[in-house]
Amino acid sequence: MENLIQLVVAGILTGVSYGVLAAGLALIFGVMKIINFAHAAFAVLAMYLPTFWFLQWWGIDPFVSAFISLPIFFLLGYITQRFLVEKVLGTPEAETSTLIITMGFSLLIENMILVVWSGFPRLIIRPYSLATWNIHNILINQAQTYSLLISLILIIGLFLFLNKTIIGKAVQAAADDPEGCAYMGINLRFIYRLAFGLGIAITAAGGCLMATYRPFHPFFGETIIVILFASVVLGGMTSIAGALIGGLIIGLIQQLCSLLVPIALQNVAVFAVFVLCLYIRPYGILGKKGRMV
Amino acid sequence: MKINEKQQISPLWQSYLPIVLVCAVAILLSYLIGQNRYIQRILILVLLWAAASSAFNIISGYGGQTVFGYMMFMGTGAYTTVLLFAFLGVSPWLGMWVGAILAVIVAFVIGFPTLRLRGAYFAVATVAFPLMTIPLLNYLGLEEVNIPFKRGISLMQFSDMRFYALIAAVFLAIILIIVRKMEHSHFGFSLRALKQNETAAEGMGINTHKIKLIAFMLSAALGAIIGTVYAFSILYVLTSHAIFGLFIIVRILSITIVGGMATIWGPFIGAAILVPIGEILNSQVGDRFPGVQDLIYGAALVIAIIYMPEGIWSKLSQAFHILAEKLIPKKLTLTAISIPTESPQLRSFDSFNLESIQFKTLEDIPYNPILKIKGVHKSFGGVNALTNVDIEVPTGKILGIIGPNGAGKTTLFNVINGYLTPEKGSLFFEDIDITHFKAHALCKLGIGRTYQTPQIFNTMTILENIIIGSFVKETQIAKAYAIAEKVSQQMGLSRRANDPAVGLSIWETKILELSRALATQPKLLLVDEPMAGLNPEEAHHIGVIIKAIAKSGITVIVIEHVVQSLVKIADRMVGLDEGRKIAEGTPDEVTSNPRIIEAYLGAKWRERYAKH
Repeated sequence: MENLIQLVVAGILTGVSYGVLAAGLALIFGVMKIINFAHAAFAVLAMYLPTFWFLQWWGIDPFVSAFISLPIFFLLGYITQRFLVEKVLGTPEAETSTLIITMGFSLLIENMILVVWSGFPRLIIRPYSLATWNIHNILINQAQTYSLLISLILIIGLFLFLNKTIIGKAVQAAADDPEGCAYMGINLRFIYRLAFGLGIAITAAGGCLMATYRPFHPFFGETIIVILFASVVLGGMTSIAGALIGGLIIGLIQQLCSLLVPIALQNVAVFAVFVLCLYIRPYGILGKKGRMV
Repeated sequence: MKINEKQQISPLWQSYLPIVLVCAVAILLSYLIGQNRYIQRILILVLLWAAASSAFNIISGYGGQTVFGYMMFMGTGAYTTVLLFAFLGVSPWLGMWVGAILAVIVAFVIGFPTLRLRGAYFAVATVAFPLMTIPLLNYLGLEEVNIPFKRGISLMQFSDMRFYALIAAVFLAIILIIVRKMEHSHFGFSLRALKQNETAAEGMGINTHKIKLIAFMLSAALGAIIGTVYAFSILYVLTSHAIFGLFIIVRILSITIVGGMATIWGPFIGAAILVPIGEILNSQVGDRFPGVQDLIYGAALVIAIIYMPEGIWSKLSQAFHILAEKLIPKKLTLTAISIPTESPQLRSFDSFNLESIQFKTLEDIPYNPILKIKGVHKSFGGVNALTNVDIEVPTGKILGIIGPNGAGKTTLFNVINGYLTPEKGSLFFEDIDITHFKAHALCKLGIGRTYQTPQIFNTMTILENIIIGSFVKETQIAKAYAIAEKVSQQMGLSRRANDPAVGLSIWETKILELSRALATQPKLLLVDEPMAGLNPEEAHHIGVIIKAIAKSGITVIVIEHVVQSLVKIADRMVGLDEGRKIAEGTPDEVTSNPRIIEAYLGAKWRERYAKH
């Protein structure tokens, strides 16, 4: 029983961290209907800079870096959208070409990190990194708990931004009906850049948080990108809250499956769930049916 | 890719000679390089990456289904062969075929469910498989497998690298010949058509899911063989990451896109440019900057997609054609005849040959009525698009269907030709229950159709569009070509037959859709709003054409908004409103039916009409 509770706690802690990363992916997908393959690579970049190097150079705490990363990566996302993704949006094959271009870009980011900072695995060591609280024999990692709280703050912030501000509402409107928005005088290009920037920013912050308790290397993104896709697909593709819940489910599956399969196969179980989702519940992702001609 | 007279009569050697030549030159080059292992390695890598990318090109370039998890098949091939060799001592020459068969099975398991998904989701779904395989192999203790070092021709192990170059060149030649053969086959045309427009392809008798699956399995089998050769000639130690890793697909994508997707020489050109750059950079600065090679591939991919998505080969062949046209004065062809001063549209009418549309005679069709629709229901969410519709379509006649916007006319067509399955009721075509038939099967049975919003295959020529139709009854390309030629002549399109099917006038679009449907040699033709967007004169001519089609023995159902034009051509009419049949009879009966008048003009008009 204790073991089970322990796993559930661990599942929730990792799940929310996936949820934050997936939320950015869902935001970008929801607004532009494109899949950003470079998403996890941005998160990994944030693990190096600001998180790791700001701590090395100036002793800035990773939890502070999480907030510093927001404006930096917003700008980075904005620029990526402006100079890369935007170039292929609007073409008939936009869905596939954005996927390919972001895949190429993720390879660029990863290998850039490899060239500049070497492939050596990094670990952030802070007093809370490995410390745990012991509540009735259930161990709760401190770094993960702080990360969870900050993650929730970030998600709530994003939620408030999208629902309470004019620009946020414009972003939502653009997701629902881009053509209608264009007629209403909303600058779609700006909204798209904004959405991409926001999506990347929240993911970067999520990456900073994850770095506080997980070792990482330049190609760390390759191990989590499918987990993020799985979370988003489970959450119904476009919804941020859905992505968070999807991430939570994935986290729980990952932890609880260790009861059944060896720990080395954790991710295999997650991928299997993802593939199964695509097979049996492909809502919104199937080709358009109905009145098509 | 264009079908023209010359290629029709060209002997086999003409289309395969360049492939054999290029690969022979590669072998010669390898022979001359001799024992320089470094340069041999680059040559082998160029050949192997070109071969793998060409195999990938079949499903992803020609078929338009980007397989991000393509390394799954190379990996399956390599691992199967190496494991069989290392543990059971099976010769790689035998093992590679086992690997290929296994890859085909894996492709079926992956492809059967995922090929239903739309482009980008399919890509992402496939990438999960290799990423899933890596931890699985690592768990099984197969993260690294040493390829046992036993020399011998029968074991595919040579100290002289030239043998590997020979093997790679031969396989490249085989793959390119397969691709070339595919390009000019029924299969290749179907693949191109479904890449363009899956809905229209289904309507043209192409079983899109099956064609995609076959292309997928073909790509997988060829990829598995190349994976094996790659493992034996380059890797020596097979690691799960080196053959299932994401960087493999990025290299293949870069090579294919830089060279040119869906072109025969694109992957080879891409590999010939990118692989040497990557290898040389890696050997020069790779120790100081690991990852510099993948940086090149990533950058090439991003730049190519933005600035040259059609690829180098397309650019080159374009430039070559322009140059050739300048140097050699164009021979007189059908398309090059100077056009008289009259408007081209009128010319099209003139060249339309009413008499010769004759595929079927009435005696051939014993069934009457040809189509029976019984109590059909179809709803979308809460909206009832069709409610309890009963229609009998008399053989050899023209049935007109009228009704205001949203009456369910196009939905009825979608139900008849199998795009939609009704929730209740049944359909009988020539006494066959077709209720649950899919569109491609119905097209083969003899139901052709045109569309309200044009569904033309844009990247093909007008003639190729029609050929897609004629493939329904004729799988041999020469015969299909002849049918398409005949139809295009009858319909007055032959002058533009080899022009690309983009930027056509509305008239030409309608005629092209009709021609394509006629080329399927239908017994029943569904024509959706043929007159919409045409001027009165053109509308009249379309009416004449439809009458001629019916006269030749093809039953026609026409949907039209413009009641007056339909009255002139229809033998019987059916009125629909809000998904219900509200009138049926001769055109006069239907147009004077009060409910039709109400549906079209409102209740006020019905009263006025009643007073007269």
